[in-house]
Amino acid sequence: MGSPSYYLRIWLASARYSLVRATMFRGDLLIWSSVELLWISVNVIMVGVIYSHTSTVAGWSMYEMLILVGTSMVVQRFLMGFFWSGIFEMGRNVRSGAFDFVLAQPGDPLFMASTRKLELDGLLNSVVAIALVVYSARKLGLHPGPADLALYACMLACGVVIHYSALVLAMSLSFWITSSQGVEGSYFTLMEFSRLPREAFNRGLSVIFVWVLPVVVVSNAPARALLHGFQASWAAGLCAATLAWFMLSVFVFRRGLRRYTSASS
Amino acid sequence: MTKYAHAFVVGLQSNLVYRWNFAVRSLFSLSHLVVVFVLWGAVFASRASVGDFTFAQTLTYFVVIFFLQFFVGAFNEDYLISEDIRNGLINQFLLKPINYFAYRMSVFTAARVVSGAMGLLALAIALPFFHGYLALPHDGWRIALGIPAMALTGIIQFSIAYCFGLLSFWFLEIQGFILLSMAVETVLGGQFFPLDLLPQGVFAVVRFLPFFYQAYFPAAILTGRQGYDFAVQGLAIQAAWALALICLAEFIWRRGLRRHTAAGG
Repeated sequence: MGSPSYYLRIWLASARYSLVRATMFRGDLLIWSSVELLWISVNVIMVGVIYSHTSTVAGWSMYEMLILVGTSMVVQRFLMGFFWSGIFEMGRNVRSGAFDFVLAQPGDPLFMASTRKLELDGLLNSVVAIALVVYSARKLGLHPGPADLALYACMLACGVVIHYSALVLAMSLSFWITSSQGVEGSYFTLMEFSRLPREAFNRGLSVIFVWVLPVVVVSNAPARALLHGFQASWAAGLCAATLAWFMLSVFVFRRGLRRYTSASS
Repeated sequence: MTKYAHAFVVGLQSNLVYRWNFAVRSLFSLSHLVVVFVLWGAVFASRASVGDFTFAQTLTYFVVIFFLQFFVGAFNEDYLISEDIRNGLINQFLLKPINYFAYRMSVFTAARVVSGAMGLLALAIALPFFHGYLALPHDGWRIALGIPAMALTGIIQFSIAYCFGLLSFWFLEIQGFILLSMAVETVLGGQFFPLDLLPQGVFAVVRFLPFFYQAYFPAAILTGRQGYDFAVQGLAIQAAWALALICLAEFIWRRGLRRHTAAGG
């Protein structure tokens, strides 16, 4: 097992390769960036339409809601930018046997599989999502200090880890089932909940979407930190969920790896 | 006509093979209804009506949209057509006395029978949770106009997917175009929010676009969001769009064939 600097060098090499690839297919980059931008706009339009008929939703004003939606998108765009392609291809590669290529590489298989490609369009649009958060914060007259921003960034990172873990878990199913095609769709469906405020859930649904699945906490915790400052209960909940989900995903991935029987499977 | 009936039967058989995929997809799509329930429940918590409609009427609208997606919505038809072109399978249709549009439409209809049944099954499972919140109008004319509107929606959905699939005559990768169109269709088709909640000026423009007739229009007729005169006028516009899109599909097909090169035996 290599040191962190060893993995950093591998990741930088992958990043350089992805950058070169993206500049070779500029048309693709433009179209996919537009796709991402349009989906961000779709969500902003929806918030705008809803708030043209009401002033608050579950106690959240329009700009507070936009901070929540923007935060959810930042997390999702970082996931798409840094890990999506690698994890998405993992399912197909396990089925076809091309996962051998990953196993033959000198590094941890999960790291090698999930960091192979960077998607520039996702990363470019994370800037748009951040701009949405900044704009909404200014509209609310928020002036977060460096400590608040650092806390927000840490919580975003936790959110990315949780999303990453959920996706690895879902795609690890390909070690057990013949085809994991469409599993990514279920991931996107579940992540719709991350754009909803915690207060909107009644007691029964809270159990599932707040406590069992971490889909609400990933966006609500950082958004609340930005809006209301540090809240120990939310921070603790997010850290616990991050640790639990990451450990679970690594465990399931490694169990699945034992079942992998190479190209002839 | 008999050959298209055979295509329908074969399509039905091949789609029945994938009935579990449709079943899983429809069950996962139910979670979108849960998102709708949570979000709009929070919106209506502080008011009795939004845009002159109650919570039950709004939820009913989204349930009908869900049903329409499975019963008349295009799923992966664009991708299937694209694959036919890219893999050269289209050649066999050029050598036989069969209209490719009519063939694909027959298979699309068969697929919707299966997916529609699975969508209904998912709704039947969800009904015990939602039935107290549903409010369907009982006017007979709504059914009389709603059924042809649904049929025309199916034609519009399919024709748009068909046109996007044919782009493979020019482009190797069309997934980006499809997702771009999907984002536009999601908003302007009324899948995120009922279009009558848009500002009046915007609504007046949107009702003349084909996307308006992809989901919102039949749902608005069936759920009582629009009156008789609007429905009759809309049906005429919808029929015009269906015809225009069929003509556009034929035009793109002819232009695409000029670029197509069939090779091999």
